[in-house]
Amino acid sequence: MSSPPLFLVLCSGEHEKLQMAGMMASVAAVSERPVQVFVSMNAIYAFRRDAAADDRYKGGAFSDLMKEKNAPDAVELFHQGKMLGDMKMHPCSMALDITEWSEDDLVEDLFDEPLGLTKFLADAEEGQIVVL
Amino acid sequence: MGERKTVDARGAYCPGPLMELIATLKLVDIGDEIEVLSSDKGSAADIPAWVEKVKHELVSIDELDKHWSIVVRKAK
Repeated sequence: MSSPPLFLVLCSGEHEKLQMAGMMASVAAVSERPVQVFVSMNAIYAFRRDAAADDRYKGGAFSDLMKEKNAPDAVELFHQGKMLGDMKMHPCSMALDITEWSEDDLVEDLFDEPLGLTKFLADAEEGQIVVL
Repeated sequence: MGERKTVDARGAYCPGPLMELIATLKLVDIGDEIEVLSSDKGSAADIPAWVEKVKHELVSIDELDKHWSIVVRKAK
């Protein structure tokens, strides 16, 4: 029996939340659990293509520790989930409108097509939603 | 008898060792074995749980000097 899909909504730009989301998404995706990630609000800034490494995540003490100890990079975890498992990443179309970004402003080779919340919620009826 | 590869993931934090194992599994043949060396305590529990979930085979798990050796056989 296949596992129910996992639906992640990313709102926060905090390093700790993005890290946990990247861990959850990548591990679920490689564990034969389909994953869909919807990126909106402050979370979208972490995925800006030209963001400097030090500027990509906003964080506190634990963020500093993760950087110091070379924990896996959060955006790279999403890349791994997508490469090795069944995972889709959608930028929120509203977030792109508000920031006046196009898909070319987002990190390369990670995102699928932009999605509205209504479509994401309709898809998510078949699984669990986690908001971070 | 399959071949054995070693993935040295010592020093990598969760879920790094698991991801390195999976990336390597995609490159080897069914029946081949991969030994993961990990200093991440969670991997000693996480990798066997993942192997059971996706139906590969756990060959062995040994705690060595400050790290674990986890051997997985590709079953599908």
